[in-house]
Amino acid sequence: MEAAHAHHGHEAHGHHPTGIMRWITTTNHKDIGTLYLLFALTMFFVGGVLALMLRLELFEPGMQFWRPEFFNQLTTMHGLIMVFGAIMPAFVGFANWQVPLMIGAPDMAFARMNNWSFWLLPPAAVLLVVSFFVPGGAIAAGWTLYAPLSTQMGPGTDLAIFAVHILGASSIMGSINIITTILNMRAPGMTLMKMPLFVWTWLITAYLLIAVMPVLAGAVTMVLTDRHFGTSFFNAAGGGDPVMFQHIFWFFGHPEVYIMILPGFGIISQIVPTFARKPLFGYSSMVYATASIAILSFMVWAHHMFTVGMPAAAQLFFMYATMLIAVPTGVKVFNWIATMWKGSMTFETPMLFACGFIFVFSMGGFTGLVLAITPVDIQLQDTYYVVAHFHYVLVAGSLFALFGGAYYWLPKWIGRMYDETLGKWHFWLSMVFFNVTFFPMHFTGLAGLPRRVPDYNMQFADFNMISTIGAFGFGLSQLIFVYLLWKAIGGAGEKATDKVWEGAQGLEWTLPSPPPYHTFETPPVVK
Amino acid sequence: MEMAEPLQSPRKATPLQVAKAVLSAFIGIRRRTAHERDAVTITPAQVIVAGLIGAAIFVLSLIMLVRYVTS
Repeated sequence: MEAAHAHHGHEAHGHHPTGIMRWITTTNHKDIGTLYLLFALTMFFVGGVLALMLRLELFEPGMQFWRPEFFNQLTTMHGLIMVFGAIMPAFVGFANWQVPLMIGAPDMAFARMNNWSFWLLPPAAVLLVVSFFVPGGAIAAGWTLYAPLSTQMGPGTDLAIFAVHILGASSIMGSINIITTILNMRAPGMTLMKMPLFVWTWLITAYLLIAVMPVLAGAVTMVLTDRHFGTSFFNAAGGGDPVMFQHIFWFFGHPEVYIMILPGFGIISQIVPTFARKPLFGYSSMVYATASIAILSFMVWAHHMFTVGMPAAAQLFFMYATMLIAVPTGVKVFNWIATMWKGSMTFETPMLFACGFIFVFSMGGFTGLVLAITPVDIQLQDTYYVVAHFHYVLVAGSLFALFGGAYYWLPKWIGRMYDETLGKWHFWLSMVFFNVTFFPMHFTGLAGLPRRVPDYNMQFADFNMISTIGAFGFGLSQLIFVYLLWKAIGGAGEKATDKVWEGAQGLEWTLPSPPPYHTFETPPVVK
Repeated sequence: MEMAEPLQSPRKATPLQVAKAVLSAFIGIRRRTAHERDAVTITPAQVIVAGLIGAAIFVLSLIMLVRYVTS
């Protein structure tokens, strides 16, 4: 593999605006990637503060801090902000930075649309945050926006609906950009089956996004017209059906789950071979398994609603289909472990996060299988067992993958090594406090503690106290990451080499660290 | 920037070979040699058609299983 380096750095491109206008008008994939990542990090802390406010109330039984209505707003906005404001934009940020570098393209295919995709996000975030201050407060129907709650709540709901519209438009444009870039702008010789797995997972994720974001937009638009324009899509009194909202929402919502984890799989599939110093075991299996998971994700949505009432035959169908997803997911976990097998492994921070991901995500996967069994799910529906399950796959899954990726590529992006000791502290504290927070929720859930309720009976007091202590520990541990970033960007670390990691393979490592503003203006040749 | 797919072959894959490739994709496992042969011989249109048929067969077989269990 041979890369033609760009011949000039920042100096040669003095014609682009500087200061704040550089960031507002930028069409450079690296700038936009940075913007996405900083936006996601900010929203991660906003959503995190909401989570800590929840845990504060739940520290002891009884009502101490918030009114129940406000507690419901906190749960809803924590979910919406983390899903749409933190996890999804963070992955798009990685795609912006890495996809062109990994396939040898000079930039994203639609550079101006790329700018717009990003700049739609801050207004949507403002709408969400401002909704706390309108009469009635923010939407409190849960992040799933279920009708008839969402058709009856105050103007905060309208703000959330518009925010979802804008975020959806941004995601669709981002996806179009990613698909077009990957399909049309690969360097000569970079056939589809030579692409790094991160690029593959993003290609498939982008198709998922284009397929399901319009479904979500349709669902919330129907809520909007039910609220203001006299329609009765989800109003039984007018001939509509509130359960239909759930079907439509989860037809979006389940692929969305995979939208939030497939790029994470991609990141892990880059990190593990690097630090095991072996090529990825079963590359083509990984591609096939990713495609398989994506297709199956459209056939399982009703497992989120086993208790709303559906024929036994439908319950069985969705139960079987859901359990079968474990097969391709198991193939992936097997392949990561087989990649490590007899490798000469080292455990720098990215690898720690990757190993943590594989371990803890697998636990989340197993509780998912438990919940897939209809009769079990009917017992566990809306308990803390579900909360434990999806935080195991979203925090220990998506978030750990994002942190792993951030540590992995940060030296490439900024040209400086981060503080490895701080990185290790960040990992271990996150890992321990994550489990302190969420593992007890399995027990409280099995014992019947319902989610989204601000008060609870005495028998749940100890586990809730442990969870709250863990949550504050986890939240504070994330400040280490901010300090580490600030230090590294400030130029404290040693200069990063081009390759950064001994075992790294791929086009991005042929570029200098940091890469010049414009890269691969002459496409590299991949042999 | 356009690039031609270098992997073009005069021989087209048989329906059985396409079915095997899609089936292994559903499980998520493929032998490297078989995969490399697929990459040369199977066209995207074949994959899409076979994928749709495979998904339909998957859904129908699950429905049949459900019927058998509930009857």
